[in-house]
Amino acid sequence: MGDIYTLGIDVGSTASKCIIMKNGEEIVAKSLIDVGAGTSGPKRAIEIVLEKAGMSEQDLDYTLATGYGRNSLMGLADKQMSELSCHARGAYYLFPKVHTVIDIGGQDVKVMHIDNGAMTNFQMNDKCAAGTGRFLDVMARVLEVKVAQLGELGAQSTRRVEISSTCTVFAESEVISQLANATDKKDIIAGIHRSVAHRVTGLARRIGVQDDVVMTGGVAQNRGIVDALQDELGVEIHTSPLTQYNGALGAALFAAQIAKKRAAKAAK
Amino acid sequence: MNTLFEKFDQISKSPAAQLSAYKAQGKKAIGVLPYYAPEELVYAAGMVPFGMWGSNKKTISRAKEYCATFYCTIAQLAVEMLLDGTMDGLDGVITPTICDTLRPMSQNIRVSMSDKMPVIFLAHPQNRFDLNGLTFTVSQYTNIRKKLEEIAGKPITDDDIRAAIKVYNACHVQQRRFVKLAGEHPDVVTAVRRSAVLKAGWFMLKDEYCAMLKELNDKIEALPACDWPGTKVVVSGIIFDNPILLQIFDDYKIAIVADDVAHESRTFKTDIPDDADPMMALAKQFANRDHDVLLYDPQSSKNRRAEFVAQLVKDSGADGLVLFMQQFCDPEEMEYPYLKKELDAQGIPHIKLGIDQQMRDFGQARTALQAFADVLAVG
Repeated sequence: MGDIYTLGIDVGSTASKCIIMKNGEEIVAKSLIDVGAGTSGPKRAIEIVLEKAGMSEQDLDYTLATGYGRNSLMGLADKQMSELSCHARGAYYLFPKVHTVIDIGGQDVKVMHIDNGAMTNFQMNDKCAAGTGRFLDVMARVLEVKVAQLGELGAQSTRRVEISSTCTVFAESEVISQLANATDKKDIIAGIHRSVAHRVTGLARRIGVQDDVVMTGGVAQNRGIVDALQDELGVEIHTSPLTQYNGALGAALFAAQIAKKRAAKAAK
Repeated sequence: MNTLFEKFDQISKSPAAQLSAYKAQGKKAIGVLPYYAPEELVYAAGMVPFGMWGSNKKTISRAKEYCATFYCTIAQLAVEMLLDGTMDGLDGVITPTICDTLRPMSQNIRVSMSDKMPVIFLAHPQNRFDLNGLTFTVSQYTNIRKKLEEIAGKPITDDDIRAAIKVYNACHVQQRRFVKLAGEHPDVVTAVRRSAVLKAGWFMLKDEYCAMLKELNDKIEALPACDWPGTKVVVSGIIFDNPILLQIFDDYKIAIVADDVAHESRTFKTDIPDDADPMMALAKQFANRDHDVLLYDPQSSKNRRAEFVAQLVKDSGADGLVLFMQQFCDPEEMEYPYLKKELDAQGIPHIKLGIDQQMRDFGQARTALQAFADVLAVG
């Protein structure tokens, strides 16, 4: 049997991510475009990842789509799966001892329980942007800083303020009020991180938190959120440099699993 | 069989056309709001009981003038349809008051609609079991009977009620049979079809509905056994009738093998018992309703309802439970922790999805249901 190349595409609400894997073992190339479902992002991300791998679509054995915009890739992808299953699979690949995955994405928060690499329970937020990447986007805009700077700035806080509202709209009012009172932005940011941690902790406790805990999704790049969550949950939280690609990684792994089965069947 | 499914689908999608058709036959129609109004009395009066469980197509606008923001969308959209003329064909409306939203809403409807049509108030008793409770229920139903007689312009005899009871009990048998058959043949009775068949019952005279449903049941029963490749669930909640949401079940091969839904099985799971006095028979049916979030349970500390739901999952061979939490439904919200505790204790997987009737996008529900199907497949 020759090498099997699979593509995992995670079309999120705010970014499109791709990963090409060889035999479901080795990452060949990855790409990320900062726009997601309903934009040119998915197509561009695929073009880039193929270019980086020096491959064309015909070289791919199987393509699996996940994420909020997964259904928009019919024709391009062979199959689509929910991002929860893919995040669970990706996290298990990166951290084989994982039992809890916390994924904070652009517009939702998910907590998954994993047993032997399979998702056995999960919780999602309801129809509310509180605690999501979108919440941080809104807050960063009001504070006139970039989202990528939030972690670094929050770490410099000396006197964290309390942002009591988890509702994005009301929390925005609270932040504006703090700014009007000349509160240091760094202290407000630390308060925002804590507010997200409160919200996510409540969700995580509904299904129980069991070591090892892994955080995935773009927000996991924000050290301030990870630290606040560790503090609230009282556990160590593992993250990976591939955190934002985790869904695409899981998709590529599932794709490899399916492609291998298919190849084995064909060989019989 | 497909023709029958199409007929049910058409009726479930166009209650206004159904109402007009009955009116064209010279029949009078009475709007029946949730929950547990004795619509047998409407039928006994020779009128058409017309269920009012909100709408998946309308937006709340005029109702905001009367309704508090924390009313569920079912209640607000019922008021909306009364105000915007959709239900102008009605000759009256019965407003039960069994939850904290329906109580004030009954007065909103009285204030806003009483110039247009009679608004019949119904207060069910909390303690419905003993003689006092039964007598109170009978007195409430007697009041409704009198008001309906005025609208119908003729008396409702005890024999009329006895005949109606017979029709309703016969219909319950077919409704329960359909739910069971739908669970056994999800390849043919898809989630979308199942809902349409059950929903149509709210907009039809029960003898007509029962005959059509029996015909369908006979045809389903004759089908070869189904070897279902997907997962099986029980659904719980007040109402879930949005075809877009139901289509997700079909897309991911999630079969509905039983339900604990107010709009569906909770309505027809309890028959009307025999009693020399037909009014007492109706009161006893209400007293016999059990394991219901909306009704008082003197033994509530025993968590009987949650045990009942868990048992329903087991008895129906389901892999898990999907709970549709209607936004702002206090009774369902308050009961949920007890239900979750029991389901967790019995190792029954479940998910809770928040819904309301103004939702038009179900992306998040799609993700959750697909993931839940994955979890159930692993289990």
